[in-house]
Amino acid sequence: MRHLPLLLLLTLAASPVLAAPPQVPLVLRRLAQAPADTTMAPALPPAAAPAVVRRPAAAHLRELRGQREFDYREVVADEPAQASLWQRLLGWLLRSLAPLLDTKGGRIAWKGLFYGLMAAGLVFAVLKFLQVDITRAFGRTSRRVPLAYEAGQENIHELDFPAAIAEAEATGNHRLALRLGYLQLLKQFTDRDFIAWQPDKTNQAYLHELAASYPSARPAFAELTRQFEYSWYGELAVSPDLYQRVRADQRRLGQQLGAAAPGRPQPA
Amino acid sequence: MEDNFLPGSQETLATSPTPSIDAPVEPAFAPRTDLAQLTARTEAVRQQIGQVIVGQQDLLELLLTALLADGHVLLEGVPGVAKTLTAKLLARTLDVPFSRIQFTPDLMPADVLGTSVFRPAQGDFEFRPGPIFASVVLIDEINRAPAKTQSALFEVMEERTVTQDGTAHRMDSPFVVLATQNPVEQEGTYRLPEAQLDRFLFKLNVGYPTLAEEIQILQGHHSGFGGTPLEKVQAVLTAQDLAALRQQVGQQRVEANVLEYIAKIVGQTRAHKALYLGASPRASIALLNGAKALAALRGRDFVTPEDVQFLAAPVLRHRIMLTPEREMEGGTADDVVKQIVQSVEVPR
Repeated sequence: MRHLPLLLLLTLAASPVLAAPPQVPLVLRRLAQAPADTTMAPALPPAAAPAVVRRPAAAHLRELRGQREFDYREVVADEPAQASLWQRLLGWLLRSLAPLLDTKGGRIAWKGLFYGLMAAGLVFAVLKFLQVDITRAFGRTSRRVPLAYEAGQENIHELDFPAAIAEAEATGNHRLALRLGYLQLLKQFTDRDFIAWQPDKTNQAYLHELAASYPSARPAFAELTRQFEYSWYGELAVSPDLYQRVRADQRRLGQQLGAAAPGRPQPA
Repeated sequence: MEDNFLPGSQETLATSPTPSIDAPVEPAFAPRTDLAQLTARTEAVRQQIGQVIVGQQDLLELLLTALLADGHVLLEGVPGVAKTLTAKLLARTLDVPFSRIQFTPDLMPADVLGTSVFRPAQGDFEFRPGPIFASVVLIDEINRAPAKTQSALFEVMEERTVTQDGTAHRMDSPFVVLATQNPVEQEGTYRLPEAQLDRFLFKLNVGYPTLAEEIQILQGHHSGFGGTPLEKVQAVLTAQDLAALRQQVGQQRVEANVLEYIAKIVGQTRAHKALYLGASPRASIALLNGAKALAALRGRDFVTPEDVQFLAAPVLRHRIMLTPEREMEGGTADDVVKQIVQSVEVPR
C-alpha cells in the first residue's frame, strides 16, 4: 500500500502512449531482474504477496553483542586486594547505606539532611559575620571580653592571699605584703561585681568603675590605691609601723565590702 | 591569719546594699622629690595659654610633657583648629629665641639650615645660619615641602647639630621643633618620611572643639577678645628654668616591671599582623621619657602604667605603618595601638 502512489504516478506518466504496447520502465525492469538480497530494500512486492519479515544477519548480531557499548549490565568491580583500611571502610559504608537510600523514604531523608546542613551552614556564617553570641539565649552568662593576654605570673582568682601575705610579713617584706593586700581588695571588688577585673585595666580605671558602682567606697579606695602606687611603683620603703597602719585600712575596707550587696560594674 | 576577710568568710557581716564607707583612710606616703617648683612653673604656662586657647586640656598637657621630655611635637589637624596658634602661644611662654618656617613646595634645604657665603674681602666662606637656629622652631605645614627638604631636618632633630661644609654647628639648648601639618589626604601635601616621623616624640591630633567650647570661642571673638591674642601671653619660663625642670624629670623613678611593660607594648607592634612596620627602640625610649615627664607633671616622682597607657598612642601612632589590607579596611594606627595596649597585662 505504501507504494501505491508511486504506481499511480507511473501509470499517469505512461498514459499518452496507452495505445502502444505496454512498456515497463527501465528502473522497474532492473529491479525485477536484480537477485534477491535481504540486506537491501526489496523490490516492490505484488499487492497480494505476503509480507516478508526481515531478520538481521546473525553474524552482524554476534559482532554487536561483543561490543562493550551494548553491554548494559552493571559490573561491580571487586575491591582491589590491596585496598587500604579506609577504602574498605568507605566501601562497606556505601554498600550498607545503598539499600536504605534507594527507598522513597531514604531519598526524602537524604534530601532533607542535605538541605538542613546547607541551611545550618548559612545561619552559622551569618551569625559569625554579625558576631552574635547565641549561647546567651540559653541563659549562659556573658563572656568576658576575650583578649589574647600574655599570661602573667599571678592570677588573683587563684592566689591564696592570707598565706601569701603571712609569708611576706614573716620575711619582713612589707612592700610585697601591701601589694598583696591591694590585689586582695581588687579581687573582693571583682567578686562583689563592683568592678570588672581585666588584666589590661589600670588602677585609675577601677577607680572610675567604683565611682559609678559604689560611690561611697571611692575615696577610701583612692587613698589605698595611692598608697599602693607609692610603695610599689614608687619603690618607697615601708616601715613596720606604716605597714600596720595601711594594712589596717585595707582590712577595714575589705570587711565593709563583705557586708555590701553585689553591685553591677559600670564601664570605665 | 587575720587577713582572711574575704566575702563569705567568718568575718563577713550581714549583707546590706552598699553600706557607706564612713571611716576615711589616713593619707600615707609622700613624694621624695619636691616637685612644687615644676608644678608651679608648668601651671603658669598653662594659665598663659589658657587665656587664648579654649579647652584642649589634653593637648596642653601633652605639649608640656614634650617640653619637659626634650622632645619634638608634630601637630596634625584639619585647617582652622588652632594648631599654629597653639604652637606660637607655647613658644611665647618661653623666654627663648623663636623662629618660624613656612614650608612650601619650592623650599630648599639651605633655606632651612643656612648656607656658606663667599666673602671676597677675606677670601673665605662664612656660614650664615638658617632659621632652624633657634630654641623653639615652629615649622608650619611641614608636609607641604618635598622629601628633599624634609631630610634636611634629620640630623638637627636627632643630634641637635647641623653639619655644613664639614663643620658641625651645635644647637643651643633647649631646641624644640613644633611642626604642624594637615592630614595627608589634603591637596598639595606630601607624606613625611618614616625616618623623620620617628624623630618626633609625639604626634598629636588636634580635634574640633566641643559645642560648649565653640560657643566660648565665639563669645570671646564677639567681645573683641580675638583681635591680638598673642599680646596677652607673657614669657614665664626661661631656658635655665626649663633645664632645671628637665633635670628633675630625668631623676624620676621607673620600676623594673614598668620598664618591661613599655618594652612589651613596643615589642607587640613588631609582631602585630595588622602592621607592616613596627616601632623602633627609639619609640621605647620616647615612651619612657614621655612617661617620666608626664608623671612629674601630675605630681609624682615615679612612673605608673597609667602614664604609659596615656602616652602610647601619641608616641606610637606615627611610628607604625598599617598593612595595605588594614588601610583598605579603614583601620587606623590608633585602633591598633589600643588593641596592643589591651593585650598587654598591666604590671601590678
